[in-house]
Amino acid sequence: MPQQVLAQASSNSSPPASPHPPRLRQAPPRKQEREALPAAMPAADEHEELTRAFAGMGGLGVDETALVTALGRWRRQPERRAQFRRGFPCFFSASAGAAAGIERCEDEYLRHLESEFARFKDAAVLWALHPWERDARWAHHVLHQGHHPAGVLVEVACTRAADDLLGARRAYQALYHRSLEEDVAYRVKDATASLLVGLVTAYRYEGTRVSEELATEEAKALAAAVKAAPAAKLVQNEQVVRILATRSKPQLRATFKVYKELHGKPLEENFAGEPCLQEAVRCLDSPPKYFADVIGRAFRDDADKQAKAALTRVVVSRADSDMEEIKDAYAKQHGAKLADAVAKNTHGHYKDALLAMIGK
Amino acid sequence: MATNTVSQVVPSPAEDAAALLKAFQGWGTDEQAVIAILAHRDAAQRKQIMLKYEQMYSESLTQRLQSELSGDFERAMYHWILDPVERQAVMANAATKCIQEEYPVIVEIACANSSAELIAVKKAYHDLYKCSLEEDVAAGTTGNLRSLLLALVSTYRYDGDDVNMGLAKSEAKIVHEAVRNGTTDHAELIRIVGTRSKAQLNATFSCFKDEHSSSITKALPHGTDPTGYLRALRTAVRCIADADKYFAKVLRNAMRESGTDEDSLTRVVVMHAEKDMKGISGAFRRRSSVTLEQAIAKETSGDYRSFLMALLGS
Repeated sequence: MPQQVLAQASSNSSPPASPHPPRLRQAPPRKQEREALPAAMPAADEHEELTRAFAGMGGLGVDETALVTALGRWRRQPERRAQFRRGFPCFFSASAGAAAGIERCEDEYLRHLESEFARFKDAAVLWALHPWERDARWAHHVLHQGHHPAGVLVEVACTRAADDLLGARRAYQALYHRSLEEDVAYRVKDATASLLVGLVTAYRYEGTRVSEELATEEAKALAAAVKAAPAAKLVQNEQVVRILATRSKPQLRATFKVYKELHGKPLEENFAGEPCLQEAVRCLDSPPKYFADVIGRAFRDDADKQAKAALTRVVVSRADSDMEEIKDAYAKQHGAKLADAVAKNTHGHYKDALLAMIGK
Repeated sequence: MATNTVSQVVPSPAEDAAALLKAFQGWGTDEQAVIAILAHRDAAQRKQIMLKYEQMYSESLTQRLQSELSGDFERAMYHWILDPVERQAVMANAATKCIQEEYPVIVEIACANSSAELIAVKKAYHDLYKCSLEEDVAAGTTGNLRSLLLALVSTYRYDGDDVNMGLAKSEAKIVHEAVRNGTTDHAELIRIVGTRSKAQLNATFSCFKDEHSSSITKALPHGTDPTGYLRALRTAVRCIADADKYFAKVLRNAMRESGTDEDSLTRVVVMHAEKDMKGISGAFRRRSSVTLEQAIAKETSGDYRSFLMALLGS
């Protein structure tokens, strides 16, 4: 090993190391050798560790500590770095950079790195914000970005307590000088608009009073609506929107229960054709189950940008409320502890932050 | 500005409670004494009197009043004695029970209040009735009327003065299209009226008037609409544009030659006496040959009249 290091050191443009072999027990190891010692692992392992640290082998976040170690380990050894780049062909392309004599970094990889490095920052900043401001900013972002605004809006509208949703609406006005419902009504132009506006403007009764009679009546009304039209049309059905957007959550849960008893399958199954509707029912029925499902989807190999960002969103927004219930639901759904899944699928400070928020 | 007067120095709640008991005792009730006390106390003072009365005499003041008084006077006093936010919740609840006729009350409460006041009314509604106002409004209506009422009642409007004139122009166009095409596709119109801030809506209304030289309410078809949707829409637009003028009109309509509508008269005076009655009074005077007090004096009588006059500050 030391000879390898010395040979590489001499090919550097930096001043050559002394040619004496190391004399143990008589003099302290030379500077290069001291630095060479941590690189006792084979080069292939080093490369793999660095690739993983750079979010090149799946998982969320980057391993900041491993990156810093590598920086130190390969100090003044650009050839090691060049080897690393050559060994990492999907992200560094020798052919693309051949004309300039470099292993050029792919633009997509740079974008990937940007989002992976930013995960910890996003988590920390979101954690510091007031929950109402957080919700307002998410809602605004999702409304002005296009693609699937429904998901986050339904989540915020249906899983927050009545006063927290109101607080988020107030924060939205303070931040953007418009009401949340104005922007939802104006920007959502598809069939889900009336349901979304209804959900977002709800100020539900929060007490426990439930009428079994009403639950039965409305379960029947929902069943009639389901029978009459496919899910895609149901999202505009007056009865469906009215019930979901105005009834209190305990009342809705009673209605869903009666529905399942009467028809053998849960209501959300009948809404499978319209994700907005299905998510609304899931969020209203059992937020922990819904959140555990969202987290699970973030860890999948085919998770896209939104699915991955959802991990930060869920953990930060629920850390102070129903994280314990989410952990239980996750264990039930996936047969593994949430903390273990996070430790396995995330890296670096991002991982530590999530684990700290999730708790033991 | 309120019209009912409250003197600087008032007797203690205990003294008032005792005076009320004295007014109830014996043969008949001394209605003038009841009015002299209760019409000249603000909401906090009335609450103290109610608590003290119950503490001292082990009966609810509200129930005693209901048994001692009668008719329009009793109905007015029953609503007057409530806390202003509770009062609106109670009136809203009564309206939802026969919503096909009483929906204008819902529209008034939704549109004439500020966003914060409306939230307070809805919270009081939760506490009183163990369900939400939205539920009750939605369950009793269908179609366009339901969409409009639900939107008006659920919204938490931005209450700033920011106005986007480009948006006002484009939305005035949308409103015009909807109005022209009958009442079939009013989703966009309801969206606009149900979510935009009042300042933005007023800008839209004036753009409409500039473009089409008539206000929206005049442009809406004036036939009988069995669903009530058009009337609700007109009410909403009027309340948002100029609440004082709207309530003055309600008062004028309530005191027509063909007979007085005491319910509407009571509702407007009792709901606004300690809030913005002066403005409504002024708007009334501008459009009629007599003052509000003169009109009420002419169309009502007895204790009911005395009570209303006391609330108006006469």
